[in-house]
Amino acid sequence: MSDDGHRGAEPSPIERRVDAIESLLVEKGLLTTEVVDAIVETYEQDVGPLNGAKVVARAWIDDDYRARLLADGTAAIGELGFGGPEGEHLVVLENTPAVHNVVVCTLCSCYPWPVLGLPPRWYKSHAYRARMVREPRTVLAEFGTTVPDGVEVAVWDSSAEVRYLVLPERPDGTDGLSEDDLVPLVTRDHMIGVVR
Amino acid sequence: MGGMHGFGPVEPEAGEPVFHEPWEGRVVGLMIGTGAAGLRRGSIRPAIERIDPATYLASSYYERWARSVEAGLVGAGTLTEAEIDARAATGGARPARLEHDSPELVAPIRAFLDSPQPTSGAPAAGAFAVGDRVTVRRMAPEGHHRCPRYVRGATGTVARIEGAWPHPGDDRPEAVYSVRFANADLWGDDAEPGSVTVDLWERYLT
Repeated sequence: MSDDGHRGAEPSPIERRVDAIESLLVEKGLLTTEVVDAIVETYEQDVGPLNGAKVVARAWIDDDYRARLLADGTAAIGELGFGGPEGEHLVVLENTPAVHNVVVCTLCSCYPWPVLGLPPRWYKSHAYRARMVREPRTVLAEFGTTVPDGVEVAVWDSSAEVRYLVLPERPDGTDGLSEDDLVPLVTRDHMIGVVR
Repeated sequence: MGGMHGFGPVEPEAGEPVFHEPWEGRVVGLMIGTGAAGLRRGSIRPAIERIDPATYLASSYYERWARSVEAGLVGAGTLTEAEIDARAATGGARPARLEHDSPELVAPIRAFLDSPQPTSGAPAAGAFAVGDRVTVRRMAPEGHHRCPRYVRGATGTVARIEGAWPHPGDDRPEAVYSVRFANADLWGDDAEPGSVTVDLWERYLT
């Protein structure tokens, strides 16, 4: 953990409070700084949307995997080695020519951490949480996403125990691409559903 | 907060970092680390929901987490508010941290965060089946629950049944239904076309 951004600056009240909690826990021998560092590093470096992209790319090239993924998301995602907190019950929502899926949590910010990492700020914003359930096409347009009129926009409010991952449609013109070539085509926003 | 007006546009941030400030990462580390070590009482969300509404709306996401972590630590008797106040008041310098070599603690945390787990759900044996029409009860419960206000009183269709989970604050697993509502049944005749599917415990439904 670098302090570079704060050298010479007065810490804010929240920084002081968080530092106070951590240092008290460490001094009492209840927690180590290393454990907190490991958690930060895991979400900064190891667990993020690349995991989800690998799941999607596998589903695009392997129909049997796709079938398992749609039948039992938790188990199929586990086949690729992914799982953990906020991934205890994963459901994969398949986009089709007739249905476009998009995920929100109106109560807090439930999000499938093992496949997407921690949520971006906009996903946690009051605006997204309030509006996506009421005017999804308008919100999608703010992301530059237009869903044709004949396609149903299906919004999923993941406020209980299920965590959802959207399986986007495989883009046209990618038939010759390998699994590794497909992975970079899949973004976090595709897997939340704000991009089609 | 589903359906509320007046928050303006959604504003994505290009190239957004996982954490905007180092303290945000520390909060996540403390939340997971103290939870895994059994140092906190209660789960993260009930404590967040006890924050008064004005403070809630004025706080950032990780500020709310920090409050919740603190409330859980104090509630469990791990720390006292007085000692946190005293330490936070001690001045401008960041408190010195004791560095430990603790691979025996780090390895299980990493494995916990990044390895496959069996599903948390139990098989559901509930009153409703896929395709049933169900109506969300009108209610105004105090305390933690997971029934969004905007679906109360609305009628929808059971689309999926993923399993049974304990209702928050309850040990008894109860069926959870993914209930699909037509947008017009939530927002009126001038709603955008489409649907919203919400996961609801059986006790919320008739």
